[in-house]
Amino acid sequence: MRNVAIAGVGYTNVFVSKRKDMNAPEMIAEAVDNAFRNTNLRPEDIDAIVIGNMQTFEGVNLPHLWASEHFCGVGKPVMRVATGGTTGMSVVHAAYYHIACGLYDTVLAIGWEKQSEGDSQVGLTGIVLPEALALVPLGLDMTGKQGMVFSGGGSTGAASFQAMSYLAKSGGTIEHIDKMAALERGNAALNPYAHLKVPNCKPEDIAATPIVSYPLRFGHTCPTSDGATCMVMCSAEKAPKIADKVAWINGLANCASEPTTGNLLEGLLTDPAEQMPAKIASKKAYEMAGITDPKKEIDMAEFYDGFAHQSMMWSERLGLFDEGKAPEMLDKGVMNLDGEMPVNPSGGVLCTNAIGASAMNRVSECALQIMGLAEGGHQVPKKVRNALAHGWGGLFQYVTVTVLGDTPRKM
Amino acid sequence: MAKEREILNSVVPLDFTYNYRVGIPLEKYILGLAEGKLLGVACPSCKKVVTPPRSICGICNEKLDEWVEVGPEGTVENWTIGHVRLEKGEAKDNDEPVLIGMIKLDGATSLMPGLIEGMRPEELAAGARVRAVFKAEPEGSVRDLDHFEPA
Repeated sequence: MRNVAIAGVGYTNVFVSKRKDMNAPEMIAEAVDNAFRNTNLRPEDIDAIVIGNMQTFEGVNLPHLWASEHFCGVGKPVMRVATGGTTGMSVVHAAYYHIACGLYDTVLAIGWEKQSEGDSQVGLTGIVLPEALALVPLGLDMTGKQGMVFSGGGSTGAASFQAMSYLAKSGGTIEHIDKMAALERGNAALNPYAHLKVPNCKPEDIAATPIVSYPLRFGHTCPTSDGATCMVMCSAEKAPKIADKVAWINGLANCASEPTTGNLLEGLLTDPAEQMPAKIASKKAYEMAGITDPKKEIDMAEFYDGFAHQSMMWSERLGLFDEGKAPEMLDKGVMNLDGEMPVNPSGGVLCTNAIGASAMNRVSECALQIMGLAEGGHQVPKKVRNALAHGWGGLFQYVTVTVLGDTPRKM
Repeated sequence: MAKEREILNSVVPLDFTYNYRVGIPLEKYILGLAEGKLLGVACPSCKKVVTPPRSICGICNEKLDEWVEVGPEGTVENWTIGHVRLEKGEAKDNDEPVLIGMIKLDGATSLMPGLIEGMRPEELAAGARVRAVFKAEPEGSVRDLDHFEPA
């Protein structure tokens, strides 16, 4: 097995709710073009492409083949990966496997979504509720009062049970969720590629938004975005020839449990805030990266936080704070951009959510922080040696983790 | 400044029909509702009781084939109050806030989501006792378990 580096990151020029001036492959091409900027590569130097977006969202079932010309894919190995919300990080992991095994040296990893072209809630119906969907003809009304997730306000309704459980366990309050959301909206204002930006956002601004499903407010929820991300990944041998600055993927893992609360037919799990897969996957990834004390050794983190309570929950489940401590850390400013453990300096998924790119952006943002290339003022004001990227999705029960470093791990 | 021109937008309605087999455990559960029964399955290894039933315990890798009757009363373990519903992607305000509980039916270890009627939002709390209300005239669907009411 060989070490793998991230040599270049390209985003679409903007992440917005409706990208009206181009079609999906053209939008992908914009991110691919931008990814080459930090490297000495040309399209012919790319050995293989891994690409991913959410299943069912745009209603295009072979988007990787439709867009092959737009990502230098003609005549090359192309693989599509789709694992729901975690898709973008699963793409990174698949690209890692391509290179680490020795078959390919330089691989493009692409995550994208053009949510404005489909109906995201219909898409989620086929993803979050596959079993419930099977019950529609048998009487489950997905749009009326019996559609439990729907009457709770879509995915926010499903997430509300997790938020309730997290608050009960941690002793946090709805005001902590307001504060977490305000912190991330404010960070997003410093990120030129963020979608929802609120300069100097205050918790009171968030608290003024209406409740969707108690305890989650409108201000606690992520947007739906159009955008794409492309990363150039390469072997350790290639890295010095390709780019001046690289970040290393030093640990990675993923883990699923059975579907959790939020489905009509859930599994045996009864606590959506338990998130056992996050604990298992992060432990494995830390071990692989040689991280023995993540609380001390991890310098910053990017979490998949579709809902604002999750940044607090993930920081505990992924071992950065003790269980139940995140609200206190938030109050102390530890999670601020200039704090000891900056969380989502980019603004997170809470502020930018082109779903197929969302989990990839956690990795690309950590890579840019390590390279010192985060633009627009969201570079954290300290040396980042190790960073933690996290993806979440599936049926509330699937987690991906990537540990990045400024030096390659010892093999 | 000239108004930004919007490029052509092609609207394509697609209407798909799928058919899904629910599996024998779920069929048995649905048929049980028509008789006013809530059926679950117990894991022979970890003894967890799941309803609606499924065929495998993923923790123990055991087949779930010990049938037990659970409920009709249960305890609210987790809850939310829905102020908004989604209809074909459009967010609409509910006429009245909708009370949704994650209910642990007596004898079960899993939680079942259910609408709670006849209770004011301020009365909803973890620990509240509720009872299943079945349709008076069953139609052979999951909707035969209509809602829950205070027990």
